[in-house]
Amino acid sequence: MDINNNVLEVNGLTKQYTTVLAANNISFSVKKGEIFALIGSNGAGKTTTIRMISTLIKPTAGDAIVNGFSVIKEPEKVRECITYLPDEAGAYKNMKGKAYLKFMAGLFTTDPATIESYVQRASEICGLKERLNDKIGTYSRGMIRKLLLARAVMTKPKLAILDEPTSGLDVLNAMDIRKMIKRLAKEEGTAFLLSSHNMLEIEFVSDRVGIVSGGHLMTVGSVDELKSRYNASNLEEVFERVVVNNEIH
Amino acid sequence: MKFINLLKKELTELINKQMILGIVIMSVMFAIVGQVMKTSIDEMSKNEYKINILNYDETDFTDSIFEEMKQMGAVINFIDKNSSELSHSEIMKKNDIENLIIIPEGFTSELLENRNLSALEAISVMKSSSSISTMTSSTSGGLSLMKSVIGNQLMKHGGFSEEDISLVQNPFTVEEVTVVSDKSAKISMNTILQNISVQNMIIPIIVFVLVMFTSQMIIGAISTEKIDKTLETLLSAPVSRTSVLGSKMLAAAIIALINAVLFMVGYYLFVGNAMTSAIESEGLGNLISETLSYDNAMKQLGLNLGIVDYLLVGVQMFLTIMISLSVSIILGAMANDAKSAQSLIMPVMMCAMVPYMISMISDINTLPSVIRIVVYIIPFTHTFTAMNNLMFGNTQIFIFGIIYQAVVFVICMFFALKIFNSDKIFTSSLNFGQKSRFKKI
Repeated sequence: MDINNNVLEVNGLTKQYTTVLAANNISFSVKKGEIFALIGSNGAGKTTTIRMISTLIKPTAGDAIVNGFSVIKEPEKVRECITYLPDEAGAYKNMKGKAYLKFMAGLFTTDPATIESYVQRASEICGLKERLNDKIGTYSRGMIRKLLLARAVMTKPKLAILDEPTSGLDVLNAMDIRKMIKRLAKEEGTAFLLSSHNMLEIEFVSDRVGIVSGGHLMTVGSVDELKSRYNASNLEEVFERVVVNNEIH
Repeated sequence: MKFINLLKKELTELINKQMILGIVIMSVMFAIVGQVMKTSIDEMSKNEYKINILNYDETDFTDSIFEEMKQMGAVINFIDKNSSELSHSEIMKKNDIENLIIIPEGFTSELLENRNLSALEAISVMKSSSSISTMTSSTSGGLSLMKSVIGNQLMKHGGFSEEDISLVQNPFTVEEVTVVSDKSAKISMNTILQNISVQNMIIPIIVFVLVMFTSQMIIGAISTEKIDKTLETLLSAPVSRTSVLGSKMLAAAIIALINAVLFMVGYYLFVGNAMTSAIESEGLGNLISETLSYDNAMKQLGLNLGIVDYLLVGVQMFLTIMISLSVSIILGAMANDAKSAQSLIMPVMMCAMVPYMISMISDINTLPSVIRIVVYIIPFTHTFTAMNNLMFGNTQIFIFGIIYQAVVFVICMFFALKIFNSDKIFTSSLNFGQKSRFKKI
């Protein structure tokens, strides 16, 4: 792996709460244009890891380097290179879709022309058309998710961090989102760090997968590598053997 | 049975530790307010018709008036007129009395023989402008009682023509003098009260509205962002946390101020006018001959507030908003869901409600010291009493209040910033004893 090509390098990232070791010595890397998925049961430590990389919470130990910047030493620089979409996130219900995109774009740049170009790009990606002129409070859950995903990629971030990107979406909308993620990674070189429970989605969309259990990153590899390592017919089987039987190959 | 099952579930959801805490706080609040009410009302009933008389017209007629007044329940304390070398306010100070009615020499002969109105002088010492505590001043009560007793006596004397009926109804005029500390002015205390009570009622209402608005807005803004996870999106964007927090605080302060101004104007125009006219119609009316204009009297008594005073009250209001904002940030950060966000407003509400209610019914400075200290620990109390303290020369308490509020604000803001700039903004929660899995070492 070409180290210089890495957009994200996670080194021994650890988060200790009083009674819970939420993330324990997690290390992995994500290349430019790569889609890396973290999968794990509820409470395994996926969201904690993602929050540390997004500079929302501070690691107890270890570090993560995003585009050459440390999340501990230079969190402001990191935030310029990333976008983050939390799981089950909402948006400001009294804002209109377009106003929301403009507001969020305004946090990344002060140049009106650039803001306009970001909004234009997000409008095309989300496909909400005229509904962008309506208040977000009138949107369905799927529409909000599409709007937020478009917001997450409109600024062409080096690393887009998406927690459960397709949660709450119907099959067709979820397929659209997966295709969009793949296209942006391939055509624009955006690196994606995803988390998901949906194995089918992970098999389809991700280049490499990391399985998290009990705060540990148990194993990392491409879907095909993992299937062959565990002699399994699908990713679900690999997941079960890693999480339930603690098998590490 | 299904209904019972449903009812049990609803009750289990509703009866939680937040609710019990609410009831406890409410009980404590009512206990404090009740105690204050009791103290004020005891004081008032103790002073009812307790009149001090300086009688320069010792006649059988005046003696019979006082006798009848005593029979009607008045407690009359006769002041020794031999100390007349002293001024009336000095006599009052010497005898430690708060009201004095002076009967002039020749009062009886003027009334009975010449059928002329005589002018009594009534002096009241004003210590605060709080409604109930000022009602303890019994000058008005004493004068009213004296008026009806003299009326009765005149009726008994008989021989009055139709023209004299008005004399029976209003047998004397009153020259009222109000004393504030060492200054006095020829104006009725009621006139002063009816003017400053409107203004003194507006301040607590504005403060209350400000505190409630700012708290509700900030707690709502932060908890909603936290629950909807828009805060995570916002804080992962390239903006500093301090600017996110600053913008929230400023927006809430602006909206609160707009509301306060609108409320103040509305209150002044509608309720204020209505109340002034109500007070006027209930006053002693034609009994009192005012010899000074209100403004001049206020100046003479040292009760007028200058620009510096208003600026100081403004500073205190600003500090009050800032305290409510910083406390609300801390509380808003603890909300886990919409329900807990609603109950989080309660501590702020109580802190505003207790001094608000107390300042409405009593003068906080005259409360028993333990209750006074407890009430003054609440930082908002100092704002509720600001006007009164400045008017009646309690400058030390006022200055202490500003310093205390500034210290409370710095401490609260320190913790608010600490929470907002740390993981706690995402992991804090008000669990009331439940173990949080996110407790940090």
